[in-house]
Amino acid sequence: MAYPYTHEKEVRLLSKHFGEPEARTLQGWKGRGGYQALPRAFELGREAVIEEVKTAGLRGRGGAGFPAGVKWSFMPKERTRPHYLLCNADESEPGTFKDRELLRWTPHQVIEGMAIAAYAIGAEHAYIYCRGEFFETTQVFARAVEEAYEAGILGEDSMGSGVKIDLTVHVGAGAYICGEETGLMNSLEGRRGQPRVKPPFPAQAGYMGMPSTVNNVETLASVPFIVTNGGEAYRAHGTSESPGTKLFCVSGHVRRPGNYELPLGFPLMELIDDVCGGVPEGRTLKGVIPGGSSVPILNAEECKDCLLSYEGVIAAGSQLGCASVIVMDDSTDMVKQVRRMVGFYAHESCGQCTPCREGSTWVEKILRRIEDGRGTEEDLGTLMEVTSQMEGTTICVLSDSVAAPVQSSIKKFRGDYLSRIRTGEKVGAA
Amino acid sequence: MSASSKIPFNNPGWAGNTGEFDLTEAQVRGDDYVGKRPPEGGHPSGASSYPYMLAETDPEAPLFEGPHKERWEKLRTRYPNARSALLPTLGMAQELRGNLSPDTMDEVAKLLDLSPAFVRGVASFYTMYNKRPVGRFLIQVCTNISCSLCGGDDVLQAFLNNTGTELGETSDDGNFTVIEAECLAGCGFPTTVQINSRYYENVTPKDVPAILERLKAQGE
Repeated sequence: MAYPYTHEKEVRLLSKHFGEPEARTLQGWKGRGGYQALPRAFELGREAVIEEVKTAGLRGRGGAGFPAGVKWSFMPKERTRPHYLLCNADESEPGTFKDRELLRWTPHQVIEGMAIAAYAIGAEHAYIYCRGEFFETTQVFARAVEEAYEAGILGEDSMGSGVKIDLTVHVGAGAYICGEETGLMNSLEGRRGQPRVKPPFPAQAGYMGMPSTVNNVETLASVPFIVTNGGEAYRAHGTSESPGTKLFCVSGHVRRPGNYELPLGFPLMELIDDVCGGVPEGRTLKGVIPGGSSVPILNAEECKDCLLSYEGVIAAGSQLGCASVIVMDDSTDMVKQVRRMVGFYAHESCGQCTPCREGSTWVEKILRRIEDGRGTEEDLGTLMEVTSQMEGTTICVLSDSVAAPVQSSIKKFRGDYLSRIRTGEKVGAA
Repeated sequence: MSASSKIPFNNPGWAGNTGEFDLTEAQVRGDDYVGKRPPEGGHPSGASSYPYMLAETDPEAPLFEGPHKERWEKLRTRYPNARSALLPTLGMAQELRGNLSPDTMDEVAKLLDLSPAFVRGVASFYTMYNKRPVGRFLIQVCTNISCSLCGGDDVLQAFLNNTGTELGETSDDGNFTVIEAECLAGCGFPTTVQINSRYYENVTPKDVPAILERLKAQGE
């Protein structure tokens, strides 16, 4: 049988062929309607492709939600220097596991999306920056790229259009920060993956100082559907501010975790209770991180009316991020989990900016002290103060990502901290 | 690794251990599609994306000779200058030698005409470059939030107990190094464990002895 964890409420534009080994192959993918969008893009022309993606309202799926068509339109129209398309496959935000699925089950969907994007922005060379740990996934993807070259889809004359599109599979080496677009570019240039100050923005001076566009895997995978069916067809799903479908990565305390492709604006509680079968029997919902570990935690009350669109999650007090829904039931030890998340950021801080380098380390130490039962109530004030100085004070937003779980958990789950501080008692075991 | 392995493959990595799926392990992992990749690199587009062949490394392996040199020259053509080929070159050096010693980094610097200090600075930034020797099997257990919520710490402990090692150390027989990993992007299938190039998902403490047996028996 196919992908077992599917649900009737899903709208599977991207994930329809997950779990079908034949869909990986060029022949299998063509048999499923693949490689019709790329020739159509060549017919339409660069400008029209960008307009279609703008019409679709496709927003960047890597977390920031910036409209992809608008991003493409920032690229210079005149091609006096090489342009580059960079596909960000450095998936490593805790809670996120969608790009790996797209790459290993539907590699040709990603290749076609990359080829269309490269054509639209006038790039003759596209790189995909794959997370280093994804050895197996990257092998599959590299094989698909090889097939695309053999079939003349990539190369000097893509599908007989006269357009040159090269694609190179690059592998990272274990650094979360390389998922930040300018960190990614530095890493791809052979440097430490430290983010750059913006401006200049990548469209002016990106990879090797040349005009560049960085797009997430899921963003690019959505492009073939839009080019084939038109932007309006894509817009038929989702909300007016968040059009289309999105892969929701649900993990943590639910009965059926997994990737579910749903229209944006889908109710959070319906996703948890209905699509994912709810929290395990006998447990109650404690909180949800709706967009990966970098966004504020929602408590059960805030989850009730939360709609999973970019604007809906902001209204509920958090952010959609990359739609990585981490569900926590009443067995959750919130102090431990926040400490674990902060420990991740302390490890992954690139070290350039003092508030992040020092802040993340000290926040982890204070949280560890509280977790070990040696904390004081004053520590909570210190944590709030330190993290407030980590917001908006650094080159990239990794520092802000430390503040989000710490501040939201202290505000919303203060009792957990106080119990640990006053009596040494843990709330929850997980 | 064959799909007909005697040791059951219960970690399909996309559905959970539900008993509902009927794909073979090779199909799930994509091994049947990828096949065996040629040592000389195949198409240049994918020349830098080879699996981590830790089990067959040689600390004295030359940088680079024979098919490896051919592969390295291919990947070099995909980057606009020598510096931008640094990460894949370090990756290949580690693939062949198992780790990046200071001498190896210096050799890489020479190969690309970069300063040794620059190369060491870059190599030290990235966690996947082993700065010291590791066991034949590098076991990385995710203990980040999604796995931790579902028992990742117990899985880590089970690997430590069953290999008889301390965190970050290598077992006496040289087989296993166990470390904690940051989120491996398998959050829906906790606990996710990476062993050399391979992912093992939905791992519970009781699966650990069988996984270790399988490694010893099959070499991967």
